Amino acid sequence: MEKGKAAATPVKNQTPLLEARGISKRFLHVQALDNVDFRVDPGEVVALVGDNGAGKSTLMKTLCGAYHCDAGAIFFDGQPVTIRSPHDAMALGIAVVYQDLALVNHRDVATNVFLGREPMRGPTVDKGRMVRESRQVLEKLKIKIPSVYTLVGLLSGGQRQAVAIARAVQQGGRLVFMDEPTAALGVQEQAKVLRLIEDLKAHGTAVVVVSHNLQHVFHVADRIVVMRGGRNAGERVKAEATAAEIVGLIVGAPSAMPLGAV
Amino acid sequence: MAQPTTTAEEVVREGTPETGPGRQRLRRVFQVREFGILAAAIGLFVALSIARPATFFTEDNILRIAMQISLLTILATGMTFLFIAGEIDLSIGAMYGLLALTVSKMLFDWQWSPWLAMPAAIAAGAGIGFVNGFLTTRFRIPSFIVTLGMLGILRGIALVWIRTPPIGRSPQFDQVTAGRLFGEVPMQIFWMLAVVLVASFVLSRTKFGYHVYATGDNEQAARNAGINTPRVKLLCFVIVGALTGLAASILIGWVHGVSRGYGPGYELDVIAAVVIGGTNLFGGIGSVFGTFLGAAITGMITTGLVLLGAQQDSEPIAKGAVIILAVLLDVTVRRRQGL
Ligand SMILES: Nc1ncnc2c1ncn2[C@@H]1O[C@H](COP(=O)(O)OP(=O)(O)O)[C@@H](O)[C@H]1O
Ligand SMILES: [Mg+2]
Repeated sequence: MEKGKAAATPVKNQTPLLEARGISKRFLHVQALDNVDFRVDPGEVVALVGDNGAGKSTLMKTLCGAYHCDAGAIFFDGQPVTIRSPHDAMALGIAVVYQDLALVNHRDVATNVFLGREPMRGPTVDKGRMVRESRQVLEKLKIKIPSVYTLVGLLSGGQRQAVAIARAVQQGGRLVFMDEPTAALGVQEQAKVLRLIEDLKAHGTAVVVVSHNLQHVFHVADRIVVMRGGRNAGERVKAEATAAEIVGLIVGAPSAMPLGAV
Repeated sequence: MAQPTTTAEEVVREGTPETGPGRQRLRRVFQVREFGILAAAIGLFVALSIARPATFFTEDNILRIAMQISLLTILATGMTFLFIAGEIDLSIGAMYGLLALTVSKMLFDWQWSPWLAMPAAIAAGAGIGFVNGFLTTRFRIPSFIVTLGMLGILRGIALVWIRTPPIGRSPQFDQVTAGRLFGEVPMQIFWMLAVVLVASFVLSRTKFGYHVYATGDNEQAARNAGINTPRVKLLCFVIVGALTGLAASILIGWVHGVSRGYGPGYELDVIAAVVIGGTNLFGGIGSVFGTFLGAAITGMITTGLVLLGAQQDSEPIAKGAVIILAVLLDVTVRRRQGL
């Protein structure tokens, strides 16, 4: 099979990889999510956009087990599932690259790639395998890091982001969530992260990426989902959407937005 | 379905050998740290030997210091786990005293079998550690508050419970805890070596050890990675308690009894040993070997001060100052390394 196949536009009526229906989540005084429907098809890149506080991170965290939703149902491969912990999500093949880079600074790259999933050899952690396999995954993603023995705290922002993504890929997930993976990066590093997303997709992994950068969104996404005030404010297939339309959905004035405002 | 749902495997070349600056740099960091501490320990030893050849550099004295250092190392090893996990136990001194009194009570007043007394002390210590850990993790109270409260409680229990501290000998118990192995090596040293080796192994090789580092370094990241961080911390508190029970047993086998007020204040020595050894009190960094060296330095400071004619009462001043200096040095070096 050709690589390009995985990048084909998803067929309309296939079983979604992940489907969330009617998700609600309330923090003390904030209704962060209000009856949100959300779907990811196999091998698809979905961009999740919206203003600050729209509920993007909360939706992500709910779907990967970091938060428990108050209401709603989640289906994976068409089967109802309960995701009550990061562990549950991992078991389903959902990997996460958190916004606040979830890395352990004083440990090396290999240890971070396998954080929480250390391979064992008898009673001890199989460091040799961790080193070998993290090199492989870094190579597969064309990530350049001096050595897998480098302490993560000594890496640049882009390298750290790459390690976080490599960890998600190594986990062998079918779905990777990324919360603002380019936010803290320089222009060149941003381009690398976008390329990583394309690579993931080429390998058949579905990606949900939260981003504020519409240029990035239009570059990598197959479908764009807009959140506003804790609700799903609308979604567009990239090929049929304009930036103005998306901006309109984000700010909540779809028709009043002149094209020039983008 | 048209699309592959699993990650397509690519043929990947074997990784190139690691010659990058990362490994070298890491090694250098390690060398600076551990060699610095090692050099300080040796320097202190040589200086004291030259300054007091007749009193410090004698077989008797060196052996006695070694036995003291052994007990301190055992206590500080538990604390090393806890520090790396990002928590602290201020009740360790009071726990040490109360458990020592408990051991002497079991052996000399209740006439318990020596084979029962030590496991009982270890279990009691583990129980106290569990309470500390449970309160800290379950109710998310800072551990220095929980264990400060525990310090008071344990000290109070010792004073209320024990009117006259039991003193005595139990030949079998003394032999196992503080006798001489092959007629030569004090058992204290044997116990310390066993604890240091096992603890080093657990911390650096096992999954639990990996999770201890991750928990103390970035608890949120560890939790996101599926690590049960409250459980990891709880276990570290239990380890502190268990090792305190072991140290208390050895102490009784060695000195045959302690006074009612013994223990509180000793947390200063333990914390000094841990931080001098390069373990970070903010979590995520440290090693048992470093702690052993830190205990050696702390032990020599204690003895050295006495031999150099300092007042016994000035000891806490020296140790307190050393703790602050060690942390100051650590923080400065790390900032310069960019970590
Ligand atoms: N842990 C939390 N506790 C309380 N309120 C929260 C928490 N996380 C998010 N919120 C609130 O929920 C809303 C949605 O936040 P978030 O999902 O982070 O938005 P986004 O990622 O789209 O910027 C915001 O109003 C935010 O203040
Ligand atoms: Mg966010």
